[in-house]
Amino acid sequence: MGISTTYNTEQELVLALKRRDNQAFSTLYDNYAGALYSIIKQIITDNAELAGDVLQEVFINIYRKIDTYDQTKGRLFTWMLNIARNASIDTLRSKSYQNSQKNQELPDNVYKGTANQSVQLNVDNIGLKKVLEKLKPEHRVLVELAYFKGFTHEEIAEMMSIPLGTVKTRIRNALLQLREYLQ
Amino acid sequence: MNIKEYIASGIIEAYVLGLASQPERAEFEQLCTQYPELVAARREFEEELEKHASEQAMQPPVGVKVKVLEAITGAPQDAPAPVSSNPPKIITMQNEKRGSSGLLRFVAAASVILLVVLTWFTYQSYKQNKDLENSNVALNEKLNSTQKILDAIVNETNVLKNPNTTVVNMVGTKVAPRSSANVYWDSTNNNVFLVVKNMPQLPSDKQYQLWALIDGKPTDLGVFDSKSDKVILKMKDTKKAQAFAITIEKQGGSPSPTLDSMQSLGKTLQSQ
Repeated sequence: MGISTTYNTEQELVLALKRRDNQAFSTLYDNYAGALYSIIKQIITDNAELAGDVLQEVFINIYRKIDTYDQTKGRLFTWMLNIARNASIDTLRSKSYQNSQKNQELPDNVYKGTANQSVQLNVDNIGLKKVLEKLKPEHRVLVELAYFKGFTHEEIAEMMSIPLGTVKTRIRNALLQLREYLQ
Repeated sequence: MNIKEYIASGIIEAYVLGLASQPERAEFEQLCTQYPELVAARREFEEELEKHASEQAMQPPVGVKVKVLEAITGAPQDAPAPVSSNPPKIITMQNEKRGSSGLLRFVAAASVILLVVLTWFTYQSYKQNKDLENSNVALNEKLNSTQKILDAIVNETNVLKNPNTTVVNMVGTKVAPRSSANVYWDSTNNNVFLVVKNMPQLPSDKQYQLWALIDGKPTDLGVFDSKSDKVILKMKDTKKAQAFAITIEKQGGSPSPTLDSMQSLGKTLQSQ
């Protein structure tokens, strides 16, 4: 995704954003809204209207929090991707969303040992989730729960009845494999 | 620390994807300040991730950009505090929108039903009014005709009851022995009435004609049919008459009677 010709480097774009330049913000939206909407849709899989609301919230938050963005810690897209992922997971866990999804509560299914099935059903053919399909099932479940459902390693260890260290190791290995598939 | 092992451990991916714990993040950021190769490795993965994500980009819903730009254009520049309360505000507005559109839908549906019901009632009322009007007209017509008939009957009865009325009994002639009729002659106002008792049916081109015989000369008193819906026929007036006679004449009557077809004859007191 190339940044518009108006901004030759990410550095320039970030500086314009920090000046609250609305034109810079419009360019940012044009360049990144599609990629961020994709990740939101991979987390909120069943409600396009809600996903659109989250995208709106994400860009408003990007505008408001741009001063907290620290370039030494990562690229602008990485920062925005994490805002989008966190907002999506927050929405997923919100009471109103939970009430509309009572029949699909994941932890119950996981405890009953049907996690694999449940996760497979939730996999869409887009983005990272598409790559996720190439992983071994026991790895795929962990990435699904950690990245797309937002559970902590501790929660996953408890859910799956496996040691915390194993969860961490498997997730790291799964991520390394994912990265290979990305290339 | 073996930085190569650290780089290959998956910590970079976990950190970039937001799956590292807080202590892991702190350690990673600390090490980044010491090892440029770690920063380069991180950057490499970030670029891969960004490239993949932009390849997988999806068309966002239309209208989101406009809403975002509206929100930020109106947003205060140096006030982070009210800022964070705005996204929930947007959600609340949408809830309200849903609620009011539900109410609107209900009101719209109720209006349509009410309109249909009112239209039906109006039509029924119109129809009923029209029916009543029609039957009222019919009743009035019937009443009028009944009144006329009644008036006629009363008038006729008055004639018959009038003491000044002379009753002349007409009897059949040799030509028509069964023919009979009565003439009621009011000498005070010269009115002549005829009551047909029995007169044979005539061909359609013929009519009976009533004559008054005054000093031997027949005077036309009008024509009539053998059958009439009236009980009493009003004929032409005459001041004098020694006798009344009925002949069969052509339709509409003749200026002078065809005496050989005389059907009945009745003499008045004046002839005596």
